[in-house]
Amino acid sequence: MKPLVVGLGSVDRGDDAVGFLVVRQVADVPGVDVVEVSDPSRLVDLGAGRDVMVLVDAVSSGSAPGTVHVLEVGEEALPIGSAAASTHWVGLGEVIELARVLDMLPARVVVVGIEAGSLEHGSGLSAPVRKAVPAAITAVLDLLD
Amino acid sequence: MTARTIKVGTLARVEGEGGMLVEVHDGRVENVQLNIFEPPRFFEALLRGRDYSEAPDITARICGICPVAYQMSACLAMEDAFGVTVPDEIRLMRRLLYCGEWIESHALHIFFLHAPDFLGFDSGIDMAREHRGVVESALRIKRAGNELMSVVGGRSVHPVNVKVGGFHRMPTVQELSAIRPDLVAARDEVMELLPLITSFDFPDFEQPYLYVSLGAENGYPLESGSLVSSEGLQAPVHDFGEHVVEEHVAHSNALHARFDGRLYVVGPLARYSLHAGALSPLAAEVAHAAGLGPQCRNPFRSILVRTVELVYALDEAIRIIDDWQGSVASVPVPVRAGVGHGATEAPRGLLYHRYRIDESGAITDAQIVPPTAQNQPSVEDDLRVFVQDRLDVPHDQLTRQCETAIRNYDPCISCATHFLDLRVDSR
Repeated sequence: MKPLVVGLGSVDRGDDAVGFLVVRQVADVPGVDVVEVSDPSRLVDLGAGRDVMVLVDAVSSGSAPGTVHVLEVGEEALPIGSAAASTHWVGLGEVIELARVLDMLPARVVVVGIEAGSLEHGSGLSAPVRKAVPAAITAVLDLLD
Repeated sequence: MTARTIKVGTLARVEGEGGMLVEVHDGRVENVQLNIFEPPRFFEALLRGRDYSEAPDITARICGICPVAYQMSACLAMEDAFGVTVPDEIRLMRRLLYCGEWIESHALHIFFLHAPDFLGFDSGIDMAREHRGVVESALRIKRAGNELMSVVGGRSVHPVNVKVGGFHRMPTVQELSAIRPDLVAARDEVMELLPLITSFDFPDFEQPYLYVSLGAENGYPLESGSLVSSEGLQAPVHDFGEHVVEEHVAHSNALHARFDGRLYVVGPLARYSLHAGALSPLAAEVAHAAGLGPQCRNPFRSILVRTVELVYALDEAIRIIDDWQGSVASVPVPVRAGVGHGATEAPRGLLYHRYRIDESGAITDAQIVPPTAQNQPSVEDDLRVFVQDRLDVPHDQLTRQCETAIRNYDPCISCATHFLDLRVDSR
C-alpha cells in the first residue's frame, strides 16, 4: 500500500494548524495518500496494512518555536508525555502504542513535529512556525523518497 | 482538625483538558472544583460578522469528536431565524448523519475511555493487552460510525456536506446500501460485547437529578424536538433562554448553567429516563438485559445507557437506509433579519445555539451552550456526595473512583487541539 501522510491539528488554535498546512503541500505527490485528522483516536487503525506512515503535528518540547523534529518510532514508545499531556482522550503517543499492541502499526512510522509557539485560539500561525513550514515539507518529502 | 485533599492535576481519558480538586476538612467535603480549561468564548466572537451560511462549518471546528452536533444545531437555528422547515427526508438524512456521530463517539467512550475504569486498567492500551478481541471489535464498531459520517457528510476533517437548508449533495441509495453490512456487523458486535459491559460492578449511588432533553415527535430524541424535563416541563426550544442561565464561576473559565436556578443533567441518562419508551425493540431488549429500569439515576451506569443508545443508533441508521428512496438535497433559504434558536442531542447531551441575523444575512450575535457546561455543576455535586459517603475508602482508590465519576459524563472539555508534549532527551 502507498505511504500515508497524516496531518494532525486544529485550524483555530494558532500553531496547531501547522500539520494541515504542511500535508496540503504534499497532497499532489504521486503515490502518496494524504489525510487530515483532528481526532487522534482515528489514527489507531488508519495506518493498518501500510508500510510507511508519516505524522505531521505541532509539538511542545521546550525547543525554539519553529524547530522541526523528525522522530522515528522504533521499538520503544515515543518520548511523549502521558495522556495527561495531550488535550485529547489520548495523545498521539498513546494512539501509536495502542496501534502497536493491536499489530496495526506500519513497519515505519515517523513523526515530523514542528515546535509550536502560540496555541491561542484565533492567533494564526506564529512567525517562526510559518517560516518553518518549507523545512517541514522538505522533511516529509525526504522521508517519502 | 484533619484535612484531606483529593487532587488530579490533569484528568486522563476525558476529552480536552481538565483537573479536579476535592477538599475534606473535619470529615466534611467542603470544596469541590472541576477545573475546566474550556476555550474562551472564542467561537461566539468569531461568528459575529460572518455570513449565516458559514455557521455550520465554523461551529463544526469546535469539537473534533462531535462536529455534526454543532452543525445540526447551527442549521436548525438559522432555519428557525428564516422561517424555513426542511422536508422530512432532509430531516431523516440529518438523523442518519447524526447516528454516525453517536456510533463513533459512544463506541470511543464506552470501550476506550470508560470500560478501563470498570475492568481495573489504567489505560485503553493496558486493556488492549488483556482484552485484544474487545478492543479490535470496538474499533470496527467505531469505524462503522466513521464510514457512515464519511458517506453522508463527506471525507474531510469535519463533515463538509452539511449546509443551512439541507445538504450540498444527497448520498445515493447505492452509497448508503454499501455501508449497511458494516452497520449490521457492528450491531452484532455490540451484542456480543454486551455480557462484558453488563458484568461490570457499579457503585451503589443514585442522585435526584432534574433531567432535561429534547422530546421528539418520532422516536428517540436526536436531530430535533422541543424541550422536556423530568418534572413535566414541555416547552419550545425558543424558551431555552428563559429556563437556562449560564454563570461564570471563579475556578473555571467554563460557564456553569442552571435550569430554573437548579442543577440539572443532560445526555444519555436524561434521554433514556425521559424516552426509554421510544427505543427500538432491540435497544429496549438491551436495556432490559442490562438491568435498567424505566429510569436510571446512577451515573456510573451511564456506560450501560450509552450501550443502549449505541444499539439504537445502529438500528436507526439501518432503518433509515432501508427506507431511503432519495430526496432533494436542500431547500431554498430566504434570508431575513431575525433571531433563531436550534437544539439537538449531541452524544453528550443537549446542544443549544442562538443567533441574531441582520437583513444581509450576517451574524450579529451568537450563543452556544454545550452539554458539558450544563452538566458541570452536577458533576461537582456528584463528587461532593460521593466522597462524603466514602471518606474511609483508601486515597488512591477514592481518587480513581472520582475520576470515573467525572468520566460518567463523557465531558468534552476543550476540544480541538492536540499538540504533543514532547520530552527531548538532552544528553
